[in-house]
Amino acid sequence: MTTIFGIPMALLYAQLLLGIINGAFYATLSLGLAVIFGMMGIANFAHGALYMMGAVGAWFMLNTLGIGYWPALILCPLVVGAFGMLLERFVLRRVSHIDHLYGMLLTFGIAFIVQGIFRFWFGSAGLPYAIPSLLTGGVNLGFMFLPYYRAWVIVASLGVCFLTWFAIEKTRLGAYLRAATENSKLVQAFGINVPVMIMLVYGGGAALAAFAGVLAAPILQVNPTMGAEVLIVIFAVVVIGGLGSIKGAIIAGFLAGIAEGLTKAFYPEASTTVVFLLMAFVLVVMPTGLFGTKTQAAATSVSLPALAHESAFMRWALFGAMAIGLAIAPLFIYPAFLMKAMTYALFACAFNLMAGYGKLVSFGHAMFLGTAGYVTAYAAKTWGLSPELAILAGTASAAVLGLVAGWLCTRSSGVYFAMISLALAQMIYFLALQLPQTGGEDGIQSVPRGALFGFIDLSNPTTLYLFVLAVFLGGFLFLSCLIRSPFGQILKAIREHEPRAQSLGYSTDRYKLATFVISAALSGLAGSTKVIVTQIASLTDVHWSMSGEVILMTFLGGVGTLYGPVLGSFVVVAMQNYLSALGAWVTVIQGAVFVICILTFRRGIVGELITFVSARQREKDRRGIAMPAGSKVVTGT
Amino acid sequence: MSIAFNGFYAVKNVDFTLHEGALHAVIGPNGAGKTTLFNLLTKFLQPTEGQIFHRGVEVTALKPAAIARQGVVRSFQISAVFQALTIRENIELALLRRSGLQWRLLGNARRDKALVERTEQVLEQFGFTREADIAAAELSYGRKRVLELATTVATDPSVLLLDEPMAGLGREDIDRVAELIQTTAKGRTILLVEHNMQVVSRLAERITVMARGQILAEGPYSEVSSRPDVIAAYTGGTH
Ligand SMILES: Nc1ncnc2c1ncn2[C@@H]1O[C@H](COP(=O)(O)OP(=O)(O)OP(=O)(O)O)[C@@H](O)[C@H]1O
Ligand SMILES: [Mg+2]
Repeated sequence: MTTIFGIPMALLYAQLLLGIINGAFYATLSLGLAVIFGMMGIANFAHGALYMMGAVGAWFMLNTLGIGYWPALILCPLVVGAFGMLLERFVLRRVSHIDHLYGMLLTFGIAFIVQGIFRFWFGSAGLPYAIPSLLTGGVNLGFMFLPYYRAWVIVASLGVCFLTWFAIEKTRLGAYLRAATENSKLVQAFGINVPVMIMLVYGGGAALAAFAGVLAAPILQVNPTMGAEVLIVIFAVVVIGGLGSIKGAIIAGFLAGIAEGLTKAFYPEASTTVVFLLMAFVLVVMPTGLFGTKTQAAATSVSLPALAHESAFMRWALFGAMAIGLAIAPLFIYPAFLMKAMTYALFACAFNLMAGYGKLVSFGHAMFLGTAGYVTAYAAKTWGLSPELAILAGTASAAVLGLVAGWLCTRSSGVYFAMISLALAQMIYFLALQLPQTGGEDGIQSVPRGALFGFIDLSNPTTLYLFVLAVFLGGFLFLSCLIRSPFGQILKAIREHEPRAQSLGYSTDRYKLATFVISAALSGLAGSTKVIVTQIASLTDVHWSMSGEVILMTFLGGVGTLYGPVLGSFVVVAMQNYLSALGAWVTVIQGAVFVICILTFRRGIVGELITFVSARQREKDRRGIAMPAGSKVVTGT
Repeated sequence: MSIAFNGFYAVKNVDFTLHEGALHAVIGPNGAGKTTLFNLLTKFLQPTEGQIFHRGVEVTALKPAAIARQGVVRSFQISAVFQALTIRENIELALLRRSGLQWRLLGNARRDKALVERTEQVLEQFGFTREADIAAAELSYGRKRVLELATTVATDPSVLLLDEPMAGLGREDIDRVAELIQTTAKGRTILLVEHNMQVVSRLAERITVMARGQILAEGPYSEVSSRPDVIAAYTGGTH
């Protein structure tokens, strides 16, 4: 048998074929993502869910309605495309006039809802789907056996990719589309209905995703979570190809598939991470991807909620109230719940430093929480370090990771930033899954709590509670001082108008990087403390859904406010605790809360409250100024 | 130097010298490349070809913030103030760096006496004392421009680049800002882009006329403004 570098040729060809097939899916999916991004400026987090709808839809049509593969290949994309148009028309359009971030967050919430509902209907087991009879069997090419269906997948994907590319680059409709991305007002002035066009584009992207889903049904595992897994790879692919570039998406899709296939042949352990490594490499060499030219405009359209006046007394009174409240809370509420909520609250506050004050919304913040957790668990269990040193080690490792990730991420902003952070986090996830030290699926269990500084025994529940309370309050206080410090002021300035901050002599990249590192370190502190409390470090803490949860907590409570993330964490943790009996519905409820929050009170609970109060303060001032003498605007410090 | 966007030269073979202590104006029709020239000089754009020197030292590879730290500070054509911050905070921000506080993670800038004093001075000099604690967003357009000028001057730059400081201002504001520019010009070098010819004739000692990315003429105001090709470029270009 012929071999190459010790690998049998047959195996190599088989993996290469598998790679090309995966590449075909990646290309079709990232194509839709690229088209939607180009037109609407949002990274469509619902893309994975739409793909899953295609696959599960095909299964449903066959098993319930008796509709076979070929009609499903047409029908599914049509149905899902129509669903996409409805989503655009009634949900996404409501936020199209403000920062694209909100559109992205909406698709994120929608993905949660769709996935949750499908899990409820179809369970999470695999749904078998047979290869259509026309395409069973295969042909022996001499050097390998080629199943007909796989050949069809490649041909069909290439065909669809080519058609889409042709439609956008070579037809008049495509010309309008491209013009509308440049200047939608102008195109509208030519008498073209841009809103309808956007609706069609989103529907088209959704249909493409569903098409890939139906194609995948006979050869990949059909189940309601299949979309979430592929979505993150697709993001990496789109970043590699260059955001908004159609050609880039197609080429990078196949490239990623082939790279994955070859790695599987030579070094199987790395096959799941290779795409992310490829992405990191491409970004270091060319920050806008292989074919991307579009640089992100950072438009702030939602300002930070701030009180017109607030006094130092009021600030300390609020903080004192929170401290006392949390100190006596265990008398009434289950302490384990409170400790969990406090660690999440610290995590959310750390995230908020970046998202709110730095306007860098990371979709991969779980990597810091989880990494620190693993390091702490390992240090406490294997090295036998005392808890404070183990926590320090965890926090430091998160800070170092923050430095590396931050260096990669802060070279970009907006959507790029979101996608890169997510993809990096996924790399960390795979590492945690595969490294021998992290215990794979089991994680690191029964981590000893030990004694703080050698003499404060943390196995005592009261001591443990007080310790967690101290860590949380300490972290919170640090953050609230930080945002009022000169550093914090400069951060706000960068958020408001980055070029202006530069023209005042501030190296904005360094400030962003510093923010990233501080945020990572504090997230790490939260993760480390969490491990000491729960005595387990597991994959859930590095999983992307954890990154999603922290976004939910922060935005629900109020991004860019001090107390918002704290409140948000308590609400979300309470929801999970008290609704856990509902199973899959928790995801749906969380997603729905998120969507409602973005649509109706996007400043979050605390943010809306502050806005309301400060509007009344201003009103009062105005009346005060109108009065003759004596009254004067109160000085806010 | 030159810069091209997708093959289109917005600034082409411009050889430009700004002399120390001068109050120099750049004029030209819309789209002449004036703002682009500013962006190049302050490194917000990277020239496709050519070099930039500041006091004999090449600065072509520097980043915008580094240029600003050398004392070359610009204003923006579209008013650039930090909207959500108060006027006081806007000015403090301009002062933080020179006070060496810019990397302080804890503590409040207001504990620094020198900074507070300097802030008060700037507030007073530009007539903001009464409104110091309202958000910049609440100012009228004209006052925002004045605030931007105030923050620019507060950094105590040696070279100021002002991009259409009078655009969108009312008559009174124009007079006040012109006066402010005149006072700040003492001991500084100023490069001014302006469409308002009265202002240019009143302030500038020397002018450069740009059209289609190139320099058309350069010299004392009275001399250049009467040249027929300059008038033609202006009337032909602005339609
Ligand atoms: N980033 C860019 N990409 C493409 N073209 C650009 C870019 N920036 C400027 N241009 C083009 O360069 C030319 C010069 O623009 P610039 O803004 O420098 O003109 P200006 O002289 O400042 O005009 P105005 O008086 O209207 O401010 C214009 O045709 C403009 O469209
Ligand atoms: Mg201009």
